Amino acid sequence: MARVVLDHVSKRFGSVVAVDDLSLEIADREFLVLLGPSGCGKSTALRMIAGLEDPTSGKIVIGDDVVNDREPKDRDIAMVFQSYALYPHMTVRRNIEFPLRSRKVAPEARDRLVKDAAASLGLDELLERKPAQLSGGQRQRVALARAIVREPKAFLMDEPLSNLDAKLRVQTRAELVELQRRLEATVIYVTHDQTEAMTMGHRIAIMSDGVLLQVGPPQEVYRRPANRFVAEFIGNPPMNMIAGGLVGRGDDVVVGVRPEHLHFGGPEFVSGLVIAVESLGHERHIGCRLSDGSIVIVRQATDDEQPAVDATVTLSAAAADLHAFAVATGERTSP
Amino acid sequence: MREALLGYALVLPALLVFGTFIFYPFLRTAWLGLYEQPLFGGDSTWVGLEQYLDEWGSEDFRNSLFVTVKFALFTVPVGISLGVLLAVAGHQRLRGIGIYRTIFSSTVATSIAVASVLFFTLFNQQLGVLTKLLHREGETPVLDDPRLAFIAVCGVTIWQNLGLSFIVISAGLQAVPDDLLEAARVDGAGAFRRFFRVTMPLLSPTLLFAVVVGSILAFQAFAQVDLLTEGGPGDRTNVLTYAIKTTALGNPPDQGAAAAYAMALFAITLLLTVVQLRFLERRVTYER
Repeated sequence: MARVVLDHVSKRFGSVVAVDDLSLEIADREFLVLLGPSGCGKSTALRMIAGLEDPTSGKIVIGDDVVNDREPKDRDIAMVFQSYALYPHMTVRRNIEFPLRSRKVAPEARDRLVKDAAASLGLDELLERKPAQLSGGQRQRVALARAIVREPKAFLMDEPLSNLDAKLRVQTRAELVELQRRLEATVIYVTHDQTEAMTMGHRIAIMSDGVLLQVGPPQEVYRRPANRFVAEFIGNPPMNMIAGGLVGRGDDVVVGVRPEHLHFGGPEFVSGLVIAVESLGHERHIGCRLSDGSIVIVRQATDDEQPAVDATVTLSAAAADLHAFAVATGERTSP
Repeated sequence: MREALLGYALVLPALLVFGTFIFYPFLRTAWLGLYEQPLFGGDSTWVGLEQYLDEWGSEDFRNSLFVTVKFALFTVPVGISLGVLLAVAGHQRLRGIGIYRTIFSSTVATSIAVASVLFFTLFNQQLGVLTKLLHREGETPVLDDPRLAFIAVCGVTIWQNLGLSFIVISAGLQAVPDDLLEAARVDGAGAFRRFFRVTMPLLSPTLLFAVVVGSILAFQAFAQVDLLTEGGPGDRTNVLTYAIKTTALGNPPDQGAAAAYAMALFAITLLLTVVQLRFLERRVTYER
């Protein structure tokens, strides 16, 4: 395994800037998640690491080598595609073998490697089937097996779970994390799903409009978002944004507070009118309309006393749980 | 009951058209083959299957069949190979590739008659560019040369069919998902391995279609022979369709014998198509 470095990498398609001066270092054996909404440039960044797109400028390093001028096959990486990209005319065995055959691995070694990869993903019984005869989850495993059958320098994964149903996704998420730890692999994982990012990555890199906004461990990004975009993108329900003027902070800032950090009663931070109560079983989300018409969500444990709809309530929050962002730039102004 | 009536009513127009222009002539031809036409006119007489067996065993028929099979064996593989070659070239993302694609597919807008006349001019002994290129001024004209005439007819056919092959195979190439080829690139496959291990297998349904349609077209080829060589020199280009025409409208006209030829052509084409679909389909990969 090896580190991967993006050094001031940009990619333009005509006049569109897909990736804008991206610098990022992924350490050996690190699980890094590239997170952002669709069209933010995360997939383009991944494809540049794979060699499927050429950067317009900047340097890409895998291990100790600058790989800008190398073909994908000479970069020694493995990639899992969103569509899985299994070869439909080949059996599962042939699919997993493909990277080995391309690299002229001897037949005995090949058989052993395929067996190991298939066994570690529970595919032993399916080796002679064609992809069309597999379920979505099984196909996903074949795509993973094809990636881990070699020992590449890094694994690149482009939204590998997005075609799975919700239940399978949660299960596979845990399995992928376990796999990464077992293989001690460098993984660069692209997703638009913040839950995947929070639960899987050692670090998250959040992108928007081709620009890298913040990199850090999930908890750090959650606790101290660098700007308003990150604050609102990470967390579900998203962070509440309250006009500074409403809470005595001045009109040039908005104050962010996460739903779980707002409490009913206590010293008043802001007051509002309860407009909706959503019970999710393990918790409740309570929507309150503030005096300027904006709506905040309060997250509450089911044991807590439930406010009545249409009741006027006072909301409190600890000063340490408030985040201030400049209205003009969206950048964080609080420490 | 009413639903059934409505059903019949809806099929009726199609049935009428097919009946008038396909089923009736087909049955009529089969029927004609059962009667022998007397050499010097007069009423034809019922001979049953005898005429079929006689004609199918005749030297003329076997020569025509041989020429037709040779013609198909030559035009179909060469035509499809060229089609694949051009389609792969036309599939590249290059500046101005649209112009090439237009040129490559343009022969589809040319009828075989126009193509034949065009090549007839090119092969003209005094003016023809091809005659000059082949340095055949003063020698036997290309279309009268026993060896070259066949090749010339094949060439015109391949040229005329190329546009269709190009379009069909291009469509097949576009249906090969990009991410499969990208996966193969990452998996270490070079351009040749990608083409032969990924693109070609996924192109196989298209190629099967092209082979079947190409074979049917080859067995039914007529205009190029009629316009360029009239079956000659000798019988070198006397394909079955042309033999049917000369027999039916010859001197004396022999509709019975021509009908036997026509039924043979039908049976061979049908058999060939079934065999191709059966055997080639085993090697074809359809997605999902």
